[in-house]
Amino acid sequence: MAADTNKFVIPIGPQHPALKEPANFEFWVDGEIVTGASVRLGYVHRGIEKGAEARTWTQNLYLMERICGICSHVHATAYTLGVEKLAGVKVPQRANAIRQLMAELERIHSHMLWLGVAAHEGGFDTLFMYSWRDRETVMDLLEKISGNKVHYSANLLGGVKFDITSELAAEIHKGLDFLEERNHFYMKVVTTDETFIGRTQDIGTMTTEKAEFLGAIGPTARASGVARDIRVDAPYLIYDQFPVKVMTHTSGDLHGRFIVRINETFESIRIIREILDHMPQGELTTRVPRRIPAGEVVSRVEAPRGELLYFIASNGSEKPERVKVRTPSLCNWSTVLSLAIGLKLADMPMLLSGIDPCFSCNDRSISLKRGQQGPQVWSWEKLRQYGIEYYR
Amino acid sequence: MNLSLPPILALLVFPGGLFLIAGGLIYQWADRKLVARFQNRIGPRFIQPLADTLKLLAKEEITPVGVHKGLFFALPAIALAAALTAGLYIPLFGFQPASSFRGDLIIALYALSVLTLTMGVAGANTISRFSLVGATRTLTQLFSYEAPFLLSLLGPAIAAGTWQISEINTYAGQNLWLMIAQPIGFVVAMIGLMGKLELPPFDAPEAETEIVAGAMTEYSGRGFALFRLGKDVELIIGLTLVSAFYLGGLANPLEFVFKTLALLLVLALLQTAFARLRIDQTVGLWWRAGALLAVVQLIAIVLGRNLGSIF
Repeated sequence: MAADTNKFVIPIGPQHPALKEPANFEFWVDGEIVTGASVRLGYVHRGIEKGAEARTWTQNLYLMERICGICSHVHATAYTLGVEKLAGVKVPQRANAIRQLMAELERIHSHMLWLGVAAHEGGFDTLFMYSWRDRETVMDLLEKISGNKVHYSANLLGGVKFDITSELAAEIHKGLDFLEERNHFYMKVVTTDETFIGRTQDIGTMTTEKAEFLGAIGPTARASGVARDIRVDAPYLIYDQFPVKVMTHTSGDLHGRFIVRINETFESIRIIREILDHMPQGELTTRVPRRIPAGEVVSRVEAPRGELLYFIASNGSEKPERVKVRTPSLCNWSTVLSLAIGLKLADMPMLLSGIDPCFSCNDRSISLKRGQQGPQVWSWEKLRQYGIEYYR
Repeated sequence: MNLSLPPILALLVFPGGLFLIAGGLIYQWADRKLVARFQNRIGPRFIQPLADTLKLLAKEEITPVGVHKGLFFALPAIALAAALTAGLYIPLFGFQPASSFRGDLIIALYALSVLTLTMGVAGANTISRFSLVGATRTLTQLFSYEAPFLLSLLGPAIAAGTWQISEINTYAGQNLWLMIAQPIGFVVAMIGLMGKLELPPFDAPEAETEIVAGAMTEYSGRGFALFRLGKDVELIIGLTLVSAFYLGGLANPLEFVFKTLALLLVLALLQTAFARLRIDQTVGLWWRAGALLAVVQLIAIVLGRNLGSIF
């Protein structure tokens, strides 16, 4: 709690029923009205970037996949795209198509998961249970392709591991038909249920200018009318051959975010069908050298939550010099904090989940707050002394 | 049906005490199971509510820092006692109430309100921020649904010309179902009951994603078990009252089981169909729609009676 004792602070987290991962939010409230908000992240810093420097290029592929438990494929894709660019390797088109197919299946799975979580935060548990039941369909499809439901490990440096056979394609088509029908139902619920609209419409409205100013990305920004999508702005894989339509909404409120995400699910279903019908023929893999030539590369992909950025530096050895990851959740925190003010306390869980946050992915470093002081820089000597004193 | 028991048995076994608690647990199970099935879940086993209660009773009761100790231990007992007291005046299981006098409707309703009130006080007694917000919401909700709910139960009372629950029950059994004669009153009573029981979508006072367990956050072990039992008893009493008044009275055990379970089925459906309302939306709904509808119904009844006596 801040030093100002006149404020009534409601802490949400690090352990709280609304949060599925640890993070700490403090909301200053006046009755039910929120007058201020702050966030503290970093509870699940795992040292993955440092760990990447001690592993080979291939081993890192599996490490990067474990940054996120929901969008695992997209992390591995961003990493492989970067490494392949550094190595100057051209990946077969069929491998790119399968990567894109997996990425879009993953987007469906992520958006349906989010729909359930967001509904649960608003106390609409029936929608939560239904959407998670139907999400099993897409997870089963992913399992049929790769053998795993969450960490598919479909990527290799220079290609993919799994082929899409015609029997698999037929099964995916069948699964997609079911998912499309279910998502039409969810769209109907989201746009017609009175209580649901009462909880989402005109809550946390963000104008286009504000979204630009706060640097919002992904569906959060697109719900505010910012037509920005890496898949369209800087196509990777074969998004230039199978282009997606950018789904935007003008309302900018929570309701708009629901509509944008469900529309994106429809768009993903359409893209997957198109890829399945026009699957390029060819090899699945190509050779990538064990040592990657020295250089630096920035690799950007559109994760379900927004732009995912990888910076990879190589010094020409078997291991990367540096891997820097910036996940989309990190860019959207400021929107939560600035939109929270003036809303009701009851809106906070939905507002928080409205950006589809993924705490564990975005925790990259820790800065400790001590009272009113800012972050401190400690010399090595001081830190060592502190350690000796602490454990004495 | 009439059943005369020695007063001590009436208090401890039937209809007060053990029977009421057992009934409350069974109805809690039925409610949870129905909601779970509507939500595509399996739901709890039949024995689960009893197991929960026994487990809680056996657990350590933590006294948080900063509470008034006496109040902290007394409030759960008062809550359960109030709920059980209300059970003495209602036609439980289709039998005549254990105790009956003129105006016992008011006593029964206010005994139920005492339960909610103790929960609010229990929340305000602690220094936990979740409890304080929960207590505020509990009491705010109490003030919003109480008037419309009371008005909706007064409708049958006026129609029957008495404020005695057993007589209203008899009247309801002999006349056209009041659900048909006073449809607005029935709707208000149903929704009022949901507000009283803090069932979704009126569960803002215990919205877990916002304020953990609301006013109950600091309670554990025995105190929490007693509050929960109180709630269960409130559920069965509420169902009994509404079905006795609006569903043609409760004359025998069979009618009791059928009518209350039918009502519970509707309650469970309503619980699953909506997103949680914010507390300001709840209050707005009650005072703008609920109270107004209840008053309209009352005016209609009074007009109907007076016009009827003129012609």
